[in-house]
Amino acid sequence: MHQGYPPDLSQLQAVMNAIEIACSSIQIHVNPAAAEATILSLCQSPRPYQACQFILENSLVANARFQAAAAIRDAAIREWVFLTDDEKKSLISFCLCFVMQHANSPEGYVQVKVSSVAAQLIKRGWLDFSAVEKEGFLSQVKQAVIGSHGLDVQFRGINVLESLVSEFSPSTSSAMGLPREFHEQCRASLEKDYLKTFYCWAQDAALSVTNKIMESNSAVPEVNVCSAAMRLMLQILNWDFQHNKNAKGGKNGIDVYSAEVRYEGARRSDCVLVQPGPSWRDVLIISGHIGWLLSLYGALRKKFSCEGYWLDCPIAVSAQKLIVQFCSLTGTIFPSDNGQMQDQHLLQLLSGIIQWVSPPDAIAKAIECGKSESEMLDGCRALLAIATITTPLVFDRLLKSISPFGTLSLLSALTCEVVKVYMANFTEEETWSWVARDILLDTWTALLMQADNTGQNSHLPPEGVNAAANLFALIVESELKVASASAFTDESESEFLQASITGMDERLSSYGLIARAAIDVTIPLLTRLFSERFARLHEGRGTKDPTETLEELYSLLLLTGHILADEGEGEMPLVPNAIQTHFVDSMEIDKHPIIVLSSSIIRFAEQSLDPEMRASVFSPRLMEAVIWFIARWSCTYLMPPEETTSSSDHRPHLQPQYSRKAWLTFFGEDNQGKLVLDIIVRISKATLVSYPGEKDLQALTCYQLLHGLVRRKSICVHLVSLGSWHDLANAFANERTLFSLNAAHQRSVAQTLTLSASGMRNSEASNQYVRDLMGYMTAYLLEMSGKSDIKNVAQQPDVILSVSCLLERLRGAASASEPRTQKAIYEMGSSVMNPILILLEVYKHESAVVYLLLKFVVDWVDGQIIYLEAQETAVVVNFCMRLLQLYSSQNIGKISLSLSSSLLSEAETEKYKDLRALLQLLSNLCSKDLVDFSSDSSEAQGTNISQVVFLGLHIVTPLISLDLLKYPKLCHDYFSLLSHMLEVYPEMVAQLNAEAFGHVLGTLDFGLHNQDTEVVDMCLRALKALASYHYKETGAGKVGLGSQATIYTEPDGKLQDGILSRFLRLLLQLLLFEDVSTDLISASADALLPLILCEQGLYQSLGKELIERQANPTFRSSWCEFQGSKTHGKSENKVSNSTSGRHMKCNDGGGDV
Amino acid sequence: MSDEEHHFESKADAGASKTYPQQAGTIRKNGYIVIKNRPCKVVEVSTSKTGKHGHAKCHFVGIDIFNGKKLEDIVPSSHNCDVPHVNRVDYQLIDISEDGFVSLLTENGNTKDDLRLPTDDNLLSQIKDGFAEGKDLVVSVMSAMGEEQINALKDIGPK
Repeated sequence: MHQGYPPDLSQLQAVMNAIEIACSSIQIHVNPAAAEATILSLCQSPRPYQACQFILENSLVANARFQAAAAIRDAAIREWVFLTDDEKKSLISFCLCFVMQHANSPEGYVQVKVSSVAAQLIKRGWLDFSAVEKEGFLSQVKQAVIGSHGLDVQFRGINVLESLVSEFSPSTSSAMGLPREFHEQCRASLEKDYLKTFYCWAQDAALSVTNKIMESNSAVPEVNVCSAAMRLMLQILNWDFQHNKNAKGGKNGIDVYSAEVRYEGARRSDCVLVQPGPSWRDVLIISGHIGWLLSLYGALRKKFSCEGYWLDCPIAVSAQKLIVQFCSLTGTIFPSDNGQMQDQHLLQLLSGIIQWVSPPDAIAKAIECGKSESEMLDGCRALLAIATITTPLVFDRLLKSISPFGTLSLLSALTCEVVKVYMANFTEEETWSWVARDILLDTWTALLMQADNTGQNSHLPPEGVNAAANLFALIVESELKVASASAFTDESESEFLQASITGMDERLSSYGLIARAAIDVTIPLLTRLFSERFARLHEGRGTKDPTETLEELYSLLLLTGHILADEGEGEMPLVPNAIQTHFVDSMEIDKHPIIVLSSSIIRFAEQSLDPEMRASVFSPRLMEAVIWFIARWSCTYLMPPEETTSSSDHRPHLQPQYSRKAWLTFFGEDNQGKLVLDIIVRISKATLVSYPGEKDLQALTCYQLLHGLVRRKSICVHLVSLGSWHDLANAFANERTLFSLNAAHQRSVAQTLTLSASGMRNSEASNQYVRDLMGYMTAYLLEMSGKSDIKNVAQQPDVILSVSCLLERLRGAASASEPRTQKAIYEMGSSVMNPILILLEVYKHESAVVYLLLKFVVDWVDGQIIYLEAQETAVVVNFCMRLLQLYSSQNIGKISLSLSSSLLSEAETEKYKDLRALLQLLSNLCSKDLVDFSSDSSEAQGTNISQVVFLGLHIVTPLISLDLLKYPKLCHDYFSLLSHMLEVYPEMVAQLNAEAFGHVLGTLDFGLHNQDTEVVDMCLRALKALASYHYKETGAGKVGLGSQATIYTEPDGKLQDGILSRFLRLLLQLLLFEDVSTDLISASADALLPLILCEQGLYQSLGKELIERQANPTFRSSWCEFQGSKTHGKSENKVSNSTSGRHMKCNDGGGDV
Repeated sequence: MSDEEHHFESKADAGASKTYPQQAGTIRKNGYIVIKNRPCKVVEVSTSKTGKHGHAKCHFVGIDIFNGKKLEDIVPSSHNCDVPHVNRVDYQLIDISEDGFVSLLTENGNTKDDLRLPTDDNLLSQIKDGFAEGKDLVVSVMSAMGEEQINALKDIGPK
């Protein structure tokens, strides 16, 4: 069959020499580029198999053998469809035989590579080979694995199986240029027919050497085989078993997209469930496999003092990992016998694992003295795995049958020990106690989360509750200790801080769950800790440095916030179940522990209103914690909506509801709610006014606290009636104090105040509220812009500051547009339309102000456009066009001159941001055509939005240079607007003048070559729309895009490429000769079909050209066929039928030119 | 800043002051600031704290608007910084004289002849080339703290 390459020994020898030289010169770094080219040429040459086999068998250079194996793989995968069945099989057999024959070769990596090549080739042909053929390959492997040919061969056999399993598992498979479906089918087939068999072989292999290992007192070669076999078992247990999932969902087909979502749900210390299904029961459970594994590891533990064994030796680690993996075994592999068999299974494992972690103090001490921590950490992971698949009750009961205490007590003791070690040597580094603490906290989370969600935590056994209480006390102690110890350390870079806060948040949620499990004890504990510190602050005022206490309070506030309330994530968080269902016997409401704790914190926070206290106690950082706490707390407890408090009425069996309901309304609107709300508002105002320049604190106040409050209408109703809220609004509207806020915060306050208008009685009052709030600002801008000396005044820094602040506020109010206040906000914007144009002229050199002006208009139009009546629309559109024209006239042809390159690039960035804002403005205008809430239809009154937007694009596009399009966001915005316009209104393109037309299409050309596939996709969609439009129009006898669209003959007889033919060429070039992402195939096909239909002549001639240039006759003939089928098929296709286009491209991809 | 220092209504005494005090926390990127007695454009602002429970400080990186040099400053965010009064006026370019001065046409029809051309070759050629091609050019002249310089160029000629 090797017709072109007769077996010529000298030739083979020459190839081998060349490769050997290349390999050794790479190693010593002599001319590596040339060497790589030599090796690459071997991989890319047609049918290099004989040469490669020759090298593998004869070369003494291991690297050359490695490269030869790689070349076999590359060539065979590439030429697979052209190989005969015999060739395929002989290649696979060659690889397998090679591995086995050279099993004892010292260069293991070559053998591993060849195994992997064998595995990939087997997989490539897997769906075509008959069962007998597969048996043929595998029986060879089986003989090796069960040990018929000695230990080395046995080891290599297991290697081959490892490679196979890894290739067949989609997450670790190698790319073969085949659809995802192929990989899925292979996966399913292996799982169904072979995976369990492989496991049994591994089991047999391990068993066959177990006795030898157990009996010997020093390392024996059998150890390698055993640890490889266990690695393979672990790998198989890690398999993503699909069969139950499919059975459960009742789906017959293979869900290609479900395969890899598995790891996403996993937490920090990821714990993956192992669910192989009932057919595995005999192998894994009934056969005594676990017992064997535990006794093997038990025997190994005793040998750690012997030579060749230690705690972290490969065989011990493999065994540990495998044992931990078995702890995650769950699902239908266990019969439905009330979990008896599973409990038995877990108990067996736990009785082995317990020695790894118990007694905790002794273990911790040993590790501190230098023992390896891996076994202990694996023990913790095993507990986590068990916690994940059991309920707290089952978890606790497991250990009770073999020891005097339950598993929860063990977990608690272990966690306490770890926290103690962590406390003792608290450093920033990741120590073992740090890792162990995280795993154990996850274990608690896994256990308590189920309880917390169902509200069934009464099911936690009493000892468990005690254990949690003890643990929590220790945790608080350690957190306080860490806090006071770190009070004086400077905070390092902000990024690092941000990361550690996120990490802390996760830890704090675990603490919160633990505290909720023993809520009766923990809340009074916290109350006591708080009051101790409050007292300490008062006693030491003026005499002692309070910093340590402040830091302790900071961490107590964060902790308490996590215990009392859940994160809302945009929703209304309910009172946590643990808290709702407890404290039933405390009858007097004002002695209710939660209320006592909450009240004491709020009273403390209230003291920050006193200037002296503020100066001496309430540091910005403590205030941040206070605001954070109040924000989180108020979402759950402040004026809770009626439903949450009365929901218990529907569940009469949950007794006794009255006391519970009563305390929940303590902070309700009819009780203390208004009082507390007033305090909160006054504190907020204080942080905004009295902490100048503290951006973080003010950000928390604006975004977390105030936004959270105005989001709830029930609270807004009370807010607008509060004197303190009026004070805030007044300070905002009429005073200068809030000018010291950061710009974004001004915007946010404006938004908040405007949103609170929804608390007014009716729409009339709401609108009046907004008018009163913003009236002064619009009046100021009007007056400013009317001044005769505005040109001189405007450039003064204080005027710039005022104008910027006011614009930010207008923008904030504009972004708070709601149907109820729409009228007032429209008036606000329309009254400043003229001032804005004047300011745009005056500040044309002040880019920061220009940007604000544009952004205000963008946000205002965005909020208003869908509500506007026809006449208002005309006014707004007219204004926007004047704005665009003015901006364009100021900036077109402008060049910045500066010595500083960074100032020049700043100027460029500013330009980019402005343009982006203008594009957003146009997009916002576009939306009028899609959503329109006005009473009369816009068609009646003549504002043609599409015309306007095209006009706008016409004004803006000359400003967008190709250089600016390199900004990804601008590029994205521009092309999404452009493709939207071309798709929805292709007829408008035909009306563009030649220059605008050229510019639009020039950018399309640019976009098609963009790196970002999304941009290319948008361009392809635009192209499709244009070509389809042209095809349909010309089909109906109209001009379509006109003469510039297609090939036309110039007066001198020269054939000139039109736009569509240019793009047809371009697209074909892109698809056939350049690297196109597979994500774009369908969009390309959609665009290609109408282009071909418009330009059939050109397409045919291009095709012919391509065929003639193709040297390989096989490819040429298949090309001809393909070309024929494509042009033949087209006549039946409709342009809109995009599926046929997709089909075509699939063929196209298979052509592999 | 207190109300005494500033009034909401700005007085029309343009040019009276070269700099204005403004709270450090309110100065943002792309604004102006005086660092080491030079007018700068702010290209970077970051905040940090003096110790955990201390107050915030602003760290400014500015670029001298005239000579392009980079300057840095750290100011407690509640303190005031000086902000330069940066003025910009457009003039039509009438002539470029041999001795390195430009002749500009002001809005009220007078000429302004006291402005030097930039010494940097690159900037110089950008102005000279355009002028030599016979384009109608408008230059914008930036002035602050007693210095002035051409900072932008615009072609307003017919297409």
